[in-house]
Amino acid sequence: MSAILSKENENAQQPDVALTINGLAVNAHTGMTLVEAAWHAGVPRVTSVGCMEGVCGSCRVMLRRGKDVTVGLACQTFAEEGIEVVFMPPASAPRHHYEIGDFKDAWDIHARFQDIFPEASRCRHCHGCDSACPKGITVENGVALAAAGRYRDAGEAFFECVMCELCDVACPELIAPAHVGLFCRRVTAHFHLRPPNLIYRLEELRQERQSVALIESDEEK
Amino acid sequence: MSNGIPLAEALARYRPDSDIGSLPELADTDTLLNTYHPDHLRDSVVKLAVGANTGDHCQHELAGLLQSEAFIDEADLAGTPVTDADVLVIGGGGAGCAAALAAAEKGARVLLVTKLRLGDSNTVMAEGGIQAAIEPDDSVQRHVQDTLRGGHHAGDPALVAAMAEDGPEVLRWLIRQGMQFEQTPSGDLHTRRAGGMSAARLVHCRDYTGLEMMRVLREAVIQHRSIEVWEQSPAVELLSNEHGQKCVGAVLTSLLDDQLRIVRTRSVILATGGLGRLHLNGFPTSNHLGATGDGLVLAYRIGARLRELDSFQYHPTGLLHPSHLAGKLVTEGVRAAGALLVNGLGRRFIDELQPRDVVCAAILRECSEGRGIRIDGQRVGVWLDTPRLERAQPGLLEKQFPNLMTRTRVSGIDPRIEPLLVHPTLHYQNGGAVIDTNGATTVPGLYAVGEVAGGIHGRNRIMGNALLEIISFGRRAGIAATASRDRGPKKVTLEHVNRLRRALTLAGMPLTQRAPRILPDYAAGGVWKR
Repeated sequence: MSAILSKENENAQQPDVALTINGLAVNAHTGMTLVEAAWHAGVPRVTSVGCMEGVCGSCRVMLRRGKDVTVGLACQTFAEEGIEVVFMPPASAPRHHYEIGDFKDAWDIHARFQDIFPEASRCRHCHGCDSACPKGITVENGVALAAAGRYRDAGEAFFECVMCELCDVACPELIAPAHVGLFCRRVTAHFHLRPPNLIYRLEELRQERQSVALIESDEEK
Repeated sequence: MSNGIPLAEALARYRPDSDIGSLPELADTDTLLNTYHPDHLRDSVVKLAVGANTGDHCQHELAGLLQSEAFIDEADLAGTPVTDADVLVIGGGGAGCAAALAAAEKGARVLLVTKLRLGDSNTVMAEGGIQAAIEPDDSVQRHVQDTLRGGHHAGDPALVAAMAEDGPEVLRWLIRQGMQFEQTPSGDLHTRRAGGMSAARLVHCRDYTGLEMMRVLREAVIQHRSIEVWEQSPAVELLSNEHGQKCVGAVLTSLLDDQLRIVRTRSVILATGGLGRLHLNGFPTSNHLGATGDGLVLAYRIGARLRELDSFQYHPTGLLHPSHLAGKLVTEGVRAAGALLVNGLGRRFIDELQPRDVVCAAILRECSEGRGIRIDGQRVGVWLDTPRLERAQPGLLEKQFPNLMTRTRVSGIDPRIEPLLVHPTLHYQNGGAVIDTNGATTVPGLYAVGEVAGGIHGRNRIMGNALLEIISFGRRAGIAATASRDRGPKKVTLEHVNRLRRALTLAGMPLTQRAPRILPDYAAGGVWKR
């Protein structure tokens, strides 16, 4: 039978999956995501939901299957029999502070990185971040690249990051890998992206504005 | 509307190699649009009876919200904690973050409040890219012309020119914030040409442009020492001075503790986004959860003039199945790559690369005339014939549309083997608050930027202009709001609420419905008690 047909037949049936969301026993249909299951059952205060297609990183959940505990995104996880789901509170305020406009010299950047993220070089290789990532990013390797000053490669490792910050939660050294990854991506663009076509057009527009300003000031005289 | 060909029957009939017939001639686009496009449904539009747009056409569900009672009155303000800020930004998507950063760069103390989480927005879902005229064969002038033509010449040329002129500078600013873009081997920014563009102008970061933009701006806002962020804090009302003539703050609630909070300020920047989650005319939507049109309601109640309230973009190919992705987009790129639309009889019915509004109307015609594919009593759609595309160009789907393949794989669907069931989905609010080139609305002290503002896209937006608009006008409003040397409010009141309430009563309209809507009903379990 075709996948779409069998799926739609399933949906037409009575709720057939029993699970727990935020401590409440609820029933859901096979094929519902955990977000849909929570709404379907009227679980109160499920407001950490955004895009519902796996790119905003808001709907962080802790999942328990027997003794096995994992984390994930509720909009990307389907209801299953017996699973216990807890919607996680929003991430706490970041502990690492920098403003990219304060960086004046790319030659200093590794010193700045070590000031801002001193924990990054203390990774104990527990793989907690790797198993927490719902996008399958090789987080630990990305952090190692950053600690070695290889920002372009590190940033590339974090390309699919949706800023759910589940790796931050998982890190026993408080490295904040998601923010390390974004730091790497940002300094790479900030210091090294200098596209000739854009630079040429910006200068053209500047000269046009200048000549318009000159004409206008002549007219005033 | 339960007519249509049952799914099982349509599937049995479907063959990726069948003869789909020749394309019927499209006789008259206007008639097609007037008969089937949701904007033109006769019962879908009413005239507003109160407020700054009295007498103007407005989609009827939106009209109900614009002409409704507020959630709060003066009694609610007594004892409510007050916070002061130079600039208040309402909304935490791309426009709100750009406005907050621009204001902070100019020295303002900024408070950014957002209904859900910082970055929860339609910005983060944008795949295509951002327009900027940077190629040698392109110009700002051509960008202006393309935008005006795409909008059926209903846009405001001054706003469009301001946005197009900002294009290159916006890219520079984004790069300084740390946003990456795709480059050619020689280091140029890579550009693509998309629908409605007379030159290659779409700059992108693979097909995750919105995500890259949003995570960079989000981080920049979080890190900025002059910007404070309150999440889970939707605005329920604006505040006016004692004459109800100027915006001087807002009243927020909290999804976490239900506590009302007053913010007093010199300028308010609305960056609340669109309204897909109102599901106008019963349509599914591609929008994120918070897109409930709340900014329009707040702006209208304080007296701001709005425009094009009867014009919305319905994207032709929203998914109908699986249900958890209902309304989510199959990018136009799939049709551009050659995928055809086929009805339940296995016939092609429209040139797939016609403008979005035309393709949308054609799909709705098939559905309403019984040639759609029916899943159940409510859901009817047409095939997007991806298996035929795969036969013609093996490997193309996997290579060029990884996002689509990943999403469907989770549900056990393989678009290379089975066609996708699609139906038009509510995608974008073309109109919004009337603004000038600083993003200022017709109400002093109130700015509107991004999807909540109108006048740029006319009656139809072309791809890549939304991401440009949010940064261009976000920054303009942030700078203008900071430049205001007002001493700040002496008194904050709900005089404008009283004014609209009187008008509603005089017009004999009921005061039963309250607005703004914070979340759609299906998501509001236990959140919103009033």
